[in-house]
Amino acid sequence: MAFALEFFLRRISQGVLIVLAVAFVIFTLLRIAPGDPIRIILGPMATPSAMEETAERLGLRDPIPVQFLRYLGDIARGDFGNSFIRGKQGGTTGGSQDAAGAPPVERAAVIELIARALPYTLLLAACGFLLACLVSIPLGILAGVRNSGWPQKVALYLSSFFVSLPNVWVGIVLIYLLSARTGWLPAIGYQHIGYVVIPAIVVAVELAPVMIRSISVAVATNVQDPFYEIGQVRGLSARIMLFRHVLRNAAVPLLNSFGAQMIGMLLGGLFVVEYIFSFPGIGLLTINAVFQRDFPVIQTVAIFASTVLVFINIAVDFASTTIDRRLKF
Amino acid sequence: MTINRREFMKATALGVAALSLPSLASRAAAASGPLIFAAAGTVTSSWDPTSHTVAPQITAEGFLFGHLTKCPMSEANPGEILPDLATEWSVIDEHTLEYKLRQGVTFHDGKPFTAADVKATYEYASNPDRPASAWYPGRVDVEVIDDHTVRLNTRQYGYPALNFWYVSSFLPILSAADVANPETLKQRPNGTGPFKYVETVGDQIKFAAFDDFHEGKPTIEEIVWAYVPDANTRVLGLLNGQYHLTERLEPEQYLSLQKEASLKTDRSLSSENKYLHFRCNKPPFDDPRIRLAVCHAIDRSQVLAVVGEAGQASNCHISPVKFGFTDVKGYPEYDPEKTQALLAEAGFPNGEGLPEIEYITSVGFYPKTREYGELITAMLQEQGFPVKLTTLEPAAWEEQLYRRADGQGPGHIIDVGWITGSPEPDLVLRPNYHSQFALINGISDPQIDASLDKERGATSTEERLKILQEETLPLIAEKAPSISLFSSVFLRAMSARLDGVTFYPNGPIDLSKATLS
Repeated sequence: MAFALEFFLRRISQGVLIVLAVAFVIFTLLRIAPGDPIRIILGPMATPSAMEETAERLGLRDPIPVQFLRYLGDIARGDFGNSFIRGKQGGTTGGSQDAAGAPPVERAAVIELIARALPYTLLLAACGFLLACLVSIPLGILAGVRNSGWPQKVALYLSSFFVSLPNVWVGIVLIYLLSARTGWLPAIGYQHIGYVVIPAIVVAVELAPVMIRSISVAVATNVQDPFYEIGQVRGLSARIMLFRHVLRNAAVPLLNSFGAQMIGMLLGGLFVVEYIFSFPGIGLLTINAVFQRDFPVIQTVAIFASTVLVFINIAVDFASTTIDRRLKF
Repeated sequence: MTINRREFMKATALGVAALSLPSLASRAAAASGPLIFAAAGTVTSSWDPTSHTVAPQITAEGFLFGHLTKCPMSEANPGEILPDLATEWSVIDEHTLEYKLRQGVTFHDGKPFTAADVKATYEYASNPDRPASAWYPGRVDVEVIDDHTVRLNTRQYGYPALNFWYVSSFLPILSAADVANPETLKQRPNGTGPFKYVETVGDQIKFAAFDDFHEGKPTIEEIVWAYVPDANTRVLGLLNGQYHLTERLEPEQYLSLQKEASLKTDRSLSSENKYLHFRCNKPPFDDPRIRLAVCHAIDRSQVLAVVGEAGQASNCHISPVKFGFTDVKGYPEYDPEKTQALLAEAGFPNGEGLPEIEYITSVGFYPKTREYGELITAMLQEQGFPVKLTTLEPAAWEEQLYRRADGQGPGHIIDVGWITGSPEPDLVLRPNYHSQFALINGISDPQIDASLDKERGATSTEERLKILQEETLPLIAEKAPSISLFSSVFLRAMSARLDGVTFYPNGPIDLSKATLS
């Protein structure tokens, strides 16, 4: 209990610092990168006076540290701000040159936009991950156990093939084949669960190579350890050795791999996949926000993503320590 | 916190139900047959047409609002004017135009359309305080003769009323009651057009057929405007039948979709020309000889070969669908010898001594800008211009486009298109080449100003046409504050089941007579 308390206190305080650092870097980069959000809010022919008036009203002319501290203060009160671009109904609405015509109160609250998009992203992530597991777990275990036979070759060739396919290309080809040509599945946007199938396959194709390799290597390492043969000499079946001992020992490296690498990959992959499929999740929201210089949305998603990654890493490290008490994180 | 199996199942069921709800709604909508338009852009935060100059919203306004007249802007007859809410129009004197209005027209909110609505709209929109007032020639007073006759009068403002001749096809007619209440005007559109606004849900806007449309209720009951920023997604959605109509195709997409039996394509000349603007208020382009030297170094036929189906050759600073277009005599053609002669005359033989020239272009907005940008850079470098190409994504490019408060714009050459919704040439010429505006290039040339003021002051369309074709447009070509590379062609595709669609050269789509079988 004392260990767990000390672990979480230490790791959460480190995590908060990491999230703050990420937030500050994103916040600063957005403001020094080319592309003025005021041009997008007010439209291409807005007068310099209307632009200045709007920029000052949004606090964008204050020094960056002042803006950041104000932003942190707002977050502490639970206010993640309002979108620069999206109206209350969630639609993109940039380009009005009427400085008085775009008051922030008429813009969507960022937290509401994220709450609206998050269920779609979670659904896609869960389906993609599930599909990847369906392929990777049996194939990875088989390849690890018989690491000189055909399963190992299949695993190697399949993961090499999958890893060499860019997800943009896979997405477009699958839409073309499974939706446009054959009409088997819907593809663009989201209206019902059928719209998840093709994008989930694309996510799975991206995740599967890393999962197959991680599982097969972790299992093979344990299978080659002396305890595996000794256990069988002592009368335990190969099945019992595999499911009770090998997989348990393989769990620590797998957890690390899944925690640090897979979640990062999943997040990155989802952004691209959602954009290609016009899937109304966090990824589509974020990519459009980047094109539209919608600072409040980008900042909040960055904070949200880094918080998720930090906490998953903490959970993975805690689980690893629980499985193997020799480990100290 | 603990959760038992029953609670978990309940929460899961609620989640699944929540995700399924939009599905049921959309299936119901699909059953009643909405036309789904995959649009490349979307509307602004205000439905007030005088608050913006944004092309996608002008397309949306085409569904919702009527105008006094219609201009089809065909290449064969750019100046053709057809009746819309006005049935007759005439010139009373130099400062007065008279319009007889159609009777029996109603707005979407049920109010009848009368002369008071025209007066409110024109006087409001031409107010210089309105953000879109740059579209209009200046302030105008509207005299109500009777409920269905109005006179536009510009006497007090010192320019001929004829300047509104073509603008009448562009200014959406608003209800006087809405103009009196700008908050309402901003919140929802209320026009006399074939479709009325229903709601906005996320990135989708819904319009429904207007029962009392004066030309008869449209056959298509519902239009869904789906904002889909990615061009590939728009095409794939069209191929799998989720969308019925899409716009802004890349030339390769257009060619491949032509082979699809379930689709139709449309290729039509737009009111947009593509330009390279020179920053004329700083070296080296403050010298017209250097500007002309660049113009003669660009082989526009090669540029057009790169642009393919999305461009059409034209030798003029306005599109062929604009009033006043002509094949300008002496328009700068590819002539490397002239380039070298002009460079030597300006004191930079073979380009030696010229400062580095930054050429800014965008990628992802107009077709093939990066590709022909690289081509033009190579052509200019071949002639000795020390050119550096900067390619930016649209938001960053747009920030660089216009001159800043200090009068200077970034870089030296910048690529842009200019599209307007009326045959009126001054919507292109004055904002770009009159020193009072010169929004991008910063040209300040008394001769150009005088010529633009002269054509604006013409008292008949014949006189104005003559001045434009024989003086103003040749003068702009000679001074070269920009070079017009080509006229843009809009490439669209639609379901083969969709018939009776009319496309306007500035983007709006007339679906009032269309059918989706």
